[in-house]
Amino acid sequence: MFDYLVRRLLVMIPTLVAISIITFIIIQLPPGDYLSTLIAEMESQGENVDLAKIAALRAQYGLDQPMWQQYLLWAGGLLRGDFGYSFEYQLPVADVVGDRVLLTCVLNFGTILFIYLVSFPIGIYSATHQYSWGDYGLTLVGFIGLATPNFLLALVLLYFANVWFGTSIGGLMDPSYIDQPWTWGKVVSVLEHLWVPVVVIGTSGTAAMIRRLRANLLDELQKQYVITARAKGLPPLRALLKYPLRMALNPFIADIGNMLPQVVSGSAVVAMVLSLPTTGPMLIGALQSQDMYLAGSFLMFLAVLTVVGMLLSDMALAWLDPRIRLGGGTAR
Amino acid sequence: MTGASTLGIPVSRGGGWVPALRDDVAPAGMTTGEKIARPLLTSLRTAARPRGRSGTHGVTGVVTAFLAALLWFAPAAPAAATGYVEPPALAEDVAAGRLPPIAERLPREPAVVDLAAAGQEPGQYGGVLPMIMGRDKDTRQMVVYGYARLVGYRPKTFELVPDILKAVEVEDDRVFTFTLREGHRWSDGAPFTTEDFRYFWEDVANDEHLSPTGPPSELMVDGEKPKVEILSPTVVRYSWSRPNPEFLPALAGARPLYLYRPAHYLKKVHARYCEPAELEKLVKDGHQRNWAALHNKLDNMYKFDNPALPTLQPWMVVTEPPSDRFVYRRNPYYHRVDPEGRQLPYIDEVDFQIAAPGLIPAKTGAGESALQARYLSFDDYTFLRQSETRSGYETYLWRTAYGAHLALYPNLNAEDPVWRELMRDTRFRHALSLAINRHEINEVNYFGLALDGNDTVLPGSPLYRDGLRERWATYDPAKADALLDEIGLTGRDGRGVRLLPDGRPAEIVVETAGESSEQTDVLELVHDSWMAVGIKLYSRPIQRTVFRNRVFAGKTLMSISKGLENGLPTADTSPQEFAPTDQNQYMWPKWGQYYQTGGKAGAPPDLPEAQRLMELYRSWRHAGSRDERTRIWGEMLGIWSEQTYTIGLVAGVLQPVVVDLELHNVPVQGVYAWDPGAHFGIYRPDTFFFGPARPRTPESVLTAAVRSRR
Repeated sequence: MFDYLVRRLLVMIPTLVAISIITFIIIQLPPGDYLSTLIAEMESQGENVDLAKIAALRAQYGLDQPMWQQYLLWAGGLLRGDFGYSFEYQLPVADVVGDRVLLTCVLNFGTILFIYLVSFPIGIYSATHQYSWGDYGLTLVGFIGLATPNFLLALVLLYFANVWFGTSIGGLMDPSYIDQPWTWGKVVSVLEHLWVPVVVIGTSGTAAMIRRLRANLLDELQKQYVITARAKGLPPLRALLKYPLRMALNPFIADIGNMLPQVVSGSAVVAMVLSLPTTGPMLIGALQSQDMYLAGSFLMFLAVLTVVGMLLSDMALAWLDPRIRLGGGTAR
Repeated sequence: MTGASTLGIPVSRGGGWVPALRDDVAPAGMTTGEKIARPLLTSLRTAARPRGRSGTHGVTGVVTAFLAALLWFAPAAPAAATGYVEPPALAEDVAAGRLPPIAERLPREPAVVDLAAAGQEPGQYGGVLPMIMGRDKDTRQMVVYGYARLVGYRPKTFELVPDILKAVEVEDDRVFTFTLREGHRWSDGAPFTTEDFRYFWEDVANDEHLSPTGPPSELMVDGEKPKVEILSPTVVRYSWSRPNPEFLPALAGARPLYLYRPAHYLKKVHARYCEPAELEKLVKDGHQRNWAALHNKLDNMYKFDNPALPTLQPWMVVTEPPSDRFVYRRNPYYHRVDPEGRQLPYIDEVDFQIAAPGLIPAKTGAGESALQARYLSFDDYTFLRQSETRSGYETYLWRTAYGAHLALYPNLNAEDPVWRELMRDTRFRHALSLAINRHEINEVNYFGLALDGNDTVLPGSPLYRDGLRERWATYDPAKADALLDEIGLTGRDGRGVRLLPDGRPAEIVVETAGESSEQTDVLELVHDSWMAVGIKLYSRPIQRTVFRNRVFAGKTLMSISKGLENGLPTADTSPQEFAPTDQNQYMWPKWGQYYQTGGKAGAPPDLPEAQRLMELYRSWRHAGSRDERTRIWGEMLGIWSEQTYTIGLVAGVLQPVVVDLELHNVPVQGVYAWDPGAHFGIYRPDTFFFGPARPRTPESVLTAAVRSRR
């Protein structure tokens, strides 16, 4: 087990290096750089921009160096925990990001929890009552959730949350709590606002989860050990939860690694629409203005999240399923 | 806008005498008022010699206006010089000794605001004004709305009057003498003197590290720097050998030309005034590459993103970016007081909440903003009206000043030689313009509430004359067909699209940086009517930066965008927008670039009419009298309409302005314009206040702007 862990950790290093190189190249792919954005903006405000000034700025930002040098500068900084300097905000990236990472994690954790809480009971019910009215009805609801465009649902929910509960539109807290220290009132305000994005991002995820759980569980329910258990007179609930459900869970654990980036990137679009103070809108803004260090550091954050998620899910799987754990031991 | 004069200074032009330009405000006490009034009257008498064209724009009208203003002085003066009222929000700080009392904070002669003349009521203190903005960078809107300027425009007449300055003297548009208010202070309490002007001129504008390209272009007259003389701690003079009529308007702009800097604050990071070792440490702590970068980062009077930078605006920023909420507190040293001696602003705090632009109409409808126009557009009007009762606000409709709300820009500098030749053919542009059914666009997209016609001056401008908006802008497909045949585009392909001389079909890609679908919706309609005369249109939305770069490089054949910025000019407004002077004029980016770079990049205009526009613009800058300026404007507008360089579609689309029922003093009818106007700026948000809920404005008044154009 320890060997396995070390090996996995070592493999992560080249993976992350490769990701960082690809990220950096992709950010640089569109024509121009941050300065062309800046120049366009200065011109739109009627400022005269001349070539000497542009050259001076380019040197000031280090954009006149070859790309590999810029990359080394950035990657070297990352290793030392320095995420670089955001051109647009004229601040170190770490200061710009600030609270956003925390709120992003809260939102995504909430969403995953929501997906599990909704899809598990429904999935189990659907599998045990296959082809019943309840099964069809709940499946229909799930599919509607999958088919409704996120942003539309977001706007509709926002409107009604405002009309019925007086929740302020958009954001993750009431405007009066922004930039204030954390208090109980602020936490409550965050919870009041959190449910809309959680439901919106969650609905599209639940349908897939319900279907998968239902299919896995149906497979298990027909196996002989289930019949034996029932024949032995095991209480029905115990006969369901103790064995078949545990077996049906494996794919979900294995899926955590995939789900993390999916939820994070899926939430970016919703966060744009709902103007949530999460990393998504900031990442999109940084990509648009080619604020390369800010964008690059964000993408690296996502990459690390994915790689770590994969590792965690593999470890959880090994811990949960003795067959994997023991099988891994006997193979060597 | 049809008032007597647009700048407060026309009387001074050409004459050898020096008129003193007084404030719209009364000095602190009666005696001072009399002292000032007397020499002023003398100079006005001198001025009243008839000169030039009389009538509405003549000298007499201006003098009458001045006398009327003088009559206002006496009753408007506060009871006593020391009778200033301490704003309650600051009382605690004053009592604790953290702030000096009000009389020591105000300039010796504060600007006393004549609320009655502006149709406003005296207000009461307190409250927080919530507004919603689209991004961090919008913190600069507070400078726009705050509108404390050296000189500022007055609403309606667009006359320039001193604001931060106590007085301005103008000689032949060449010599400008500014007098500051004695005892005026920055928001941190340090004195605001001519040293701040000197610092900017000598240590910022002429410092090769801070301004590698030299002083701002508004200060340069044909390459000549001004002579800047510091005459006393309160008097400074800028002079050129040739006239600079664009100087004062630049000071009053929405994004003003700043002639001053808080020297006491910025000297701390200026190499000339610092110990090198200390400065180096500051540079390092600020994560900057050198001291110039640090200085530039801290010194952003317009961007308004540095809470430590002292300001003269009514509200000062207290939030460090980045943030989702910006807070602005009242400036305890602000220089304006109301007639009862209460220091402005009335409202203690302004909050900008940052939200996605797409959500702003919904948030406004939910009552989250007490004053909102930015990020609202006319399509939101019905939704906003519907939510009025629920959220307790009113929706006003203000007029806008764009020459055209939307205009097509044929690129005369297009790279493709065949297309370039066509775009430069006046007949081709006429044909395209005649083939557009503007009435239909107006009815379909704007409920018939807009004005159709060319991209030129609006009927509210004194320079407007009949025919300017209609010339080559009626719907006449038959004539368009005939014109296209005459050019020789007679061949057609199977779809009925005309063929270019080299055999390609005449397909025009119109590029748009529209963040909304409004522009593409309009283009759909243009597509249909162009198709009828055999021109195929494709629309292509692209990201704004890419859009601009493509236009500049000549890769774009045609673009769609806003029309002229200022559709309500007077003879004294610069006609710069009508001549090839700017790369951002999408019909001739290279010619504009040529002018902007002094011939280093771009290409010189090579069409005789465009050259003539350029000549006229130059002669406007040197013109000695208002009559001459009017004549030049007349000729330029004539050429402009005759040549159809831009194909205007509709103009005068109204701007919804949402105002909380408890917010007072916001005019029901106004002009929503960037420059001159600064959006809310010239209506002076420092005089807005929160009071008991107002009764709702009658429907007929709310929609007066709509009916006035029918």
